[in-house]
Formats: sequence, C-alpha cells, structure tokens
Amino acid sequence: MIRGVFVLGEQGNMIYSKEYAKGDSKADLVEFLINLSDFLKTIDLEDKTEYMNAVISRIFYSKKDSFTFMFVADKADDASQIEEKMGELVESFMRDYANLALANQSLDGFDEKVDEIAVTMVKVAILGFAGVGKTTTLHLLRGETLPLVHDPTIGVSIKKLPEEISNANIVLWDLAGQSRFSILWAKMIANAQVVIIVTDSTLENVLRSKKLVSLVKDEVPDAKVIGIANKQDLPTALTPERVGQILSIPTYELVAIDISYRDRLIQIIRRAILEGKAEAKAA
Amino acid sequence: MPKATFIVHLDDFHGFLVRDRYPSSLTLNEKILNLIFYEQQKDKKEELSYSNVEGMKIAAYSSSLYPRWMVCSILSAEEDFDLLRVELAGSGRLILAILAVDPDSFSLEEILKTGSVLKELSEEQRLADVFLTPSSALLLERMQKEGIEKAAKLSIWLREQIQNNDVDLREAMAPLMDSGVVKVELLSKTSEMVFLVKDVFGYREPPVDSILRTKEAIPSITEKYREFVTDFFSPPPPNKGYNPTVPVDDANSPIFEDREKISRIIAERIQYRVLTSLRDQPLSIVDISQKTSLPESIVKKVLFALEAEKIAVRFDEGDLWGLLTNPRIESFLPEYVLEIIAKKLKEKEISPEAARRHLELLIQTWGVAK
Repeated sequence: MIRGVFVLGEQGNMIYSKEYAKGDSKADLVEFLINLSDFLKTIDLEDKTEYMNAVISRIFYSKKDSFTFMFVADKADDASQIEEKMGELVESFMRDYANLALANQSLDGFDEKVDEIAVTMVKVAILGFAGVGKTTTLHLLRGETLPLVHDPTIGVSIKKLPEEISNANIVLWDLAGQSRFSILWAKMIANAQVVIIVTDSTLENVLRSKKLVSLVKDEVPDAKVIGIANKQDLPTALTPERVGQILSIPTYELVAIDISYRDRLIQIIRRAILEGKAEAKAA
Repeated sequence: MPKATFIVHLDDFHGFLVRDRYPSSLTLNEKILNLIFYEQQKDKKEELSYSNVEGMKIAAYSSSLYPRWMVCSILSAEEDFDLLRVELAGSGRLILAILAVDPDSFSLEEILKTGSVLKELSEEQRLADVFLTPSSALLLERMQKEGIEKAAKLSIWLREQIQNNDVDLREAMAPLMDSGVVKVELLSKTSEMVFLVKDVFGYREPPVDSILRTKEAIPSITEKYREFVTDFFSPPPPNKGYNPTVPVDDANSPIFEDREKISRIIAERIQYRVLTSLRDQPLSIVDISQKTSLPESIVKKVLFALEAEKIAVRFDEGDLWGLLTNPRIESFLPEYVLEIIAKKLKEKEISPEAARRHLELLIQTWGVAK
C-alpha cells in the first residue's frame, strides 16, 4: 500500500505531503526525501518512475519539469501498479495544479485527487470485551457461516472485506477481547481509520466499554469511532440509543447471528470511512 | 544453533509479516505469531523473552530501536534458554541492525551460519546516549553547574525548561544513570539526591595510534595518511582545523552539532563495529569483514557513510580504509564539583551527610588517590 505521498518543488521545498500510515521518524524521512530530490536534479529519469528500497519500504520517484513526486510504498507491493498510480498522480498534478504550485497558490482539490489515486487500503479495527460477538460480526461482514463452537480469538485476526470502497480494500482487525490481551490493543489499533466498539448491550458491558472509547480516542484521535449494540435479540439488551448515550459515540443495533443485518452494517462502515475522511479533511 | 530462526514484523495494515526464515521449510501460522508477540509484549521490559508456544520453545528478541520487529528462535528440546541468553540477544541485535542498514543483501542464513553476534553496548556507547537524548544533555549541563541537587528541585527545573508538566525525571535521566554519570540516592528517608560523579566529553581524536601502527605495518601509505589527517585537524591558514577544546557558548556552534553527530555514529551498532575495527590500523574491506563478521556489502555501505562524515578515508593503494578522525566519548573526574560541594555545604544548601556521600561516590567511581 502507498503509505505516503510527497511532492517537492525545485528548491527541495515540500509542496504537498500526506501520510496514510504514521511512522516513528517522519523528520528523518522528510530529510531523506529532500536529499533524494536534490540528488535527482543531477540525473535524467526521462519521465520514468524509478524506485529504491529502504528496509521494508520502497520509495518510488518521478520527475516532471521542476517537480519531484514521491511515494513511500511497501516492498511487497506490485511495482507496476504503483508506477501506474504515479503516472496518474503526475498527470493530474501537471494538468491542474502545477501552475498553482508555481504561483504559491493553495492546491484546492488536490488532496481528494491524491486519496482517489493513492488509498488502496482502509483499516477497520473491531474492539470489545470477550464474548460480545466481535468475531461473529467479522464472519457476518465476510458473509461466512458462523462456527458452532465459540473459539476465542488469540491476539488479532486480520481479514479482508469482500467489498471495496472507492477502489480501496477494507481490512478488518478483529482484536482478542480477553483481558490478558488488553496490553496489545493500543498497538493493534494504530493507524485504523475506523474503530468499531462492539458491546453485548448489557448495562455492565456497556459501562466497561466506556474505557475502550477513551483508549481509542487517546491512541487514534483521527479515527472515526462507532459503537455496535449487539445481541439486540436478548431480553437484557439496552436499546442502541441508550448504549450510544452511555458511550457518547454513534451506535447502531445488531444481531450478529442474523445475516439480514449484513448489508446494513456494511453501509454503516462505508459511511464511517467516508465521514472519517471528511472530518480529517475539515480538521 | 537454534532449530529455526525467523524475523517478524507487525505491520499496521497487513498484520504479522514474516520477513525472513531459516530454514526456508519452516511453517508458521497466525496463532503462533500472535502468541509470541503477546508473550514478548508481556515481558517487554526485557529485550529477550522466552515462551512455550504450541509445544515449541521460543526465544524472541526485540529492541526499542526497531519497534514492532522480533527475531524469534525455536530452540531444540536439549537447548537451555538461560545458557543461550547472551548469544540469542547478540544475534537478534545483529540481525535487526543489519536489516536496517542493508535490507537488500541481507541473508539470514549467512548471519546464522557465521554465529556472529552484537555484544551489549560498550561504555562509550552508553555515554553517547546522553547526547542523543535532548533532556539528558540538558540535565547534564545543569548538573555540571549544580554538582549535587535534590531530585525534586531538578524535576521542577526540567519541567520549566521544556515547558511540559508531564515529563518524568527518571526517564529523562535514564541515559545519565545507565552510563554512571549521575547517581540517584535517597538520603535521610525523604530527600532523593542526584550526584554528578562523571563528566563526559565527546570529540574527534586524531588517529595517532593508527598512524603509528601504519608506519610499522604499511609504511608506503604513512605519508599520505599523515597528509589526510593534517588537512583535517590543522590545515594551512586561513582554514581553521577541528579544535573541540575552544570554548563555545553558542548552543548551535558546529562543535556541539558535531558532538551529536559523533554520538549518533558511536551509538549506531554496526557503524561502531566498523569504526572500532579501524582504530588499530587501516584495513581492506575483506579484512574489516573478517574482523567484524559483517558481510562485505554492509562494510562497504558503512564505510561510505563514515567517509561522508569525515571519519573514514580511503587509500587508493591496496584499497585500504583508515580512520581520518577517531570519534571518542570519554568520561572524566569532574574535579570542579569539589568546590561546589564545599560551597553548598558552607551555605547550608546541602547536609554534611549529602556532602560526605557525594565524596564517597566519587571515590568509589574513580578510586582512591595513591
């Protein structure tokens, strides 16, 4: 996946930058990219995209007139696909934004264009205490048959959703709910765009889950957080409205063992992803 | 040698990725990787953790330098984790360090077969950490003025300096404590005191020993070597050579900046290994590779990086590499604290007990004068 998009000007000045996965050493990366762009002035890439490896990343670069374009992607990515995306980005920038950049004007609309081209993966984390139905929700979303025996998740289970959103894959991270695994939660939700907090809709569980909302807001403040009031078929269930009030997040009803909820839930996730993007942009 | 070794990276999007494995026939599943990661996180205070996962004896090495990476070894039934501890940590350290320097020519098999390890940090490397942690460097400067100070007072001072109330003094002081620059002790049950027992100096030393050895072992390059070193340290006027003893008050002076550069190189394990191999005399890449047990491709990359930092220099003759400058981080007895202790005691800023303890600590650290 493309983890970062950078456009530099003639003096090595950063015209545009966006990181989809926040790393630990952004300053080092930017310094490296500026040096690389400086070095690229001395060679002719003949409008081609080239790349170099850096640990697990691969840095793709291309030059057009006075601009240098860079993607930080994964080494495991299909290079030809990334090169194609680079071609799209360069073309779009040179056609609609190059003159604005030269005149030091703001690049209105470029951010959306970059998202359209570069976002290939959206991470959705499913969090909640043990036995609330997280894995059942995952099976429901993937349209899979539910297992007859409850098999607690160990650590994390990562699966793709068959559906895509704006040509991007949706990857679901189903986090183990047993309390011993709570030490992993903060690490596992890193860079999630959406976090779904699943509750079994009992008062006790919903009250406990407030802690999860705080954790998510601390660790991934930019993520869109939604609540799921699962097990609505049980007599002890609080209403989704009540669950939402307690958690202070938008909350939706669910009976994860009922396949008829699938489409509705997928729509909720899609909406959350799009709303999350819009909020991030507004921020 | 363990039955199998593999390197795992936890990627924020893709989850657990096995970066490399040896033997290549080794199979792993998500559950095993999850359990190893969990066990390692549970014991995260240690670099090396041991767990029994699905009937396998597994040692996992991780380091705060490379977050979310683990080097895991599956031990055979006869192997004893405690006996292998140093070796496993050393090889894990080396594998992650090499992977960071040269991922393309990295070969897990080659490293495992040579049995090469990276030892724990040397004293010099621990001292380098002081200059790489901004709050530690700041605290060192403060302690050079104060000599002895109450921890509570130091904590308030640090908070004011960095305008952050959440700063943890112990954490900020960790590099100073780990390297033995300061000692922290509880005196009279209530007052925690910080004592400065060592001072630190980071500089580039002319590679005198190396030049002398070169004169004996490779006389044909001695003249050229002297010329390189003289050009750096005392070039003909109007150029100024490198002189770290010139007093500077400006925090942005090139000497301060250079000290940070030196510290970074000394703290970086692979660069340090190559650098120390050259302290005796100039060597060829093959010799350095043999001496350091690092692949030649890595040695070459590191040498180019050291050359760019004016630490290594290449001789055309015999394709040899030598030290142009020898970066050193050294500790010394801060004699000036004696005056500070006397003054503070006279002005009743510190108790006689604190003054006595400070002197004891200085004697313990530096030995009794004969």
